[in-house]
Amino acid sequence: MVKTASVTGKPIQIKIFPQRLLQPETAERLLNEIDHVNGVIRMLIGGKNLPRKVTCGPGTGTDVNHPNMEIIHVGDCAFELHVMVGEVIVELEDESTKEELRNACERTLPFSFEFKQGFFIKKKATLTDYGKYGFKSKTDESINLEDERILGLMDPHAKPENSLCVINPEEEK
Amino acid sequence: MAYKPQYYPGSTSVAKNRRKFMSDDVEKMRDISDEDLTALLGHRAPGSDYPSTHPPLSEIGEPACPVREVVEPTPGAAAGDRMRYVQFADSMYNGPAVPYWRSYHAAINFRGVDPGTLSGRQVNEMRERDMEEYAKRQSETEITDWGLAGMRGCTVHGHSLRLQEDGVMFDMLDRRRLEGGVIVSDKDQVGVPIDRKVNLGKPMSEAEAAKRTTIYRVDNVAFRSDKEVIEHVQRVWELRTKYGFVPKA
Repeated sequence: MVKTASVTGKPIQIKIFPQRLLQPETAERLLNEIDHVNGVIRMLIGGKNLPRKVTCGPGTGTDVNHPNMEIIHVGDCAFELHVMVGEVIVELEDESTKEELRNACERTLPFSFEFKQGFFIKKKATLTDYGKYGFKSKTDESINLEDERILGLMDPHAKPENSLCVINPEEEK
Repeated sequence: MAYKPQYYPGSTSVAKNRRKFMSDDVEKMRDISDEDLTALLGHRAPGSDYPSTHPPLSEIGEPACPVREVVEPTPGAAAGDRMRYVQFADSMYNGPAVPYWRSYHAAINFRGVDPGTLSGRQVNEMRERDMEEYAKRQSETEITDWGLAGMRGCTVHGHSLRLQEDGVMFDMLDRRRLEGGVIVSDKDQVGVPIDRKVNLGKPMSEAEAAKRTTIYRVDNVAFRSDKEVIEHVQRVWELRTKYGFVPKA
């Protein structure tokens, strides 16, 4: 697999927007089904924040212990959910597997969902990314990243180990 | 003939529910004990005395004033209670109350209220014991469905969000949740754990919530389907606009 976001061919992006906010079990099933679809380049999970501590009011600092903050397993990767999953954006290598993705969602989600094609995750570096990662060298002004697929997947200030996971890296070799 | 207030126009179920809320002609759905409610509110320890902010009015010796003679103080004011608040957030997915109707219910049926009405939440400040009486009334009746509403002093996020898979409105601080078919709460309204699990009863089914709601929705009862309400709203709008142009009229 090419390690740039804009792979050769015409990648498409799909936003899956379920009618309800997903419980961790449903989110895990959905993400695994999507992972089995051919040609998935990257996925972005969005939803409602689950804080570890109360951040305002008289109870500031109290532990929340939200039961939906679970560790889920997707492919060979385990990570803790920091959000109640409300949407998943998927980038596919081309249009050919779009229906396969739709079927995966229909199999997993017990309620209706929106399935929109559009441009949701950026594909090339912007000024903020250059500010964070810099140039490769004085002579090479491309962005100093080994794998450009992480562009647009996380906040520039976030730490990759907390918000990013690479599924099945062995298969790519 | 005795005067009968005409609270709200319209013939749809939403208009009827709005009239019910305003007139306090609401059905009691559940029992919440005083101690449980005090714990949920989180202003004082259950069973403790009401802290006061001034001596009882009877001891102060009020000045001669015709208004004070006419207006009887509420129990909380008479005892010198502190001002305390309760805040509710209601889901726009057919939550029984919408913020304005909580405020109308408070302002019409209770005294000494200071309701603050926002888009997705409603806060009400009153003397502590008066506030508890008001909060109990709203918590125990059809005004509140604990699956589609929450008592939230802070972090009120939830009103306009999609519901969770189990049909409950999202709560970032997990103050209440669905357990065994009933809503239970083990935190007070600001997210601090309390020493008990308060049973808030069964949440309403989708059909029941749609029947009892006071929110107009295109997928339930559309605002435009109630001609009398439209007429009323347009008349109020027209008079307000005209008044704005002719302030002395």
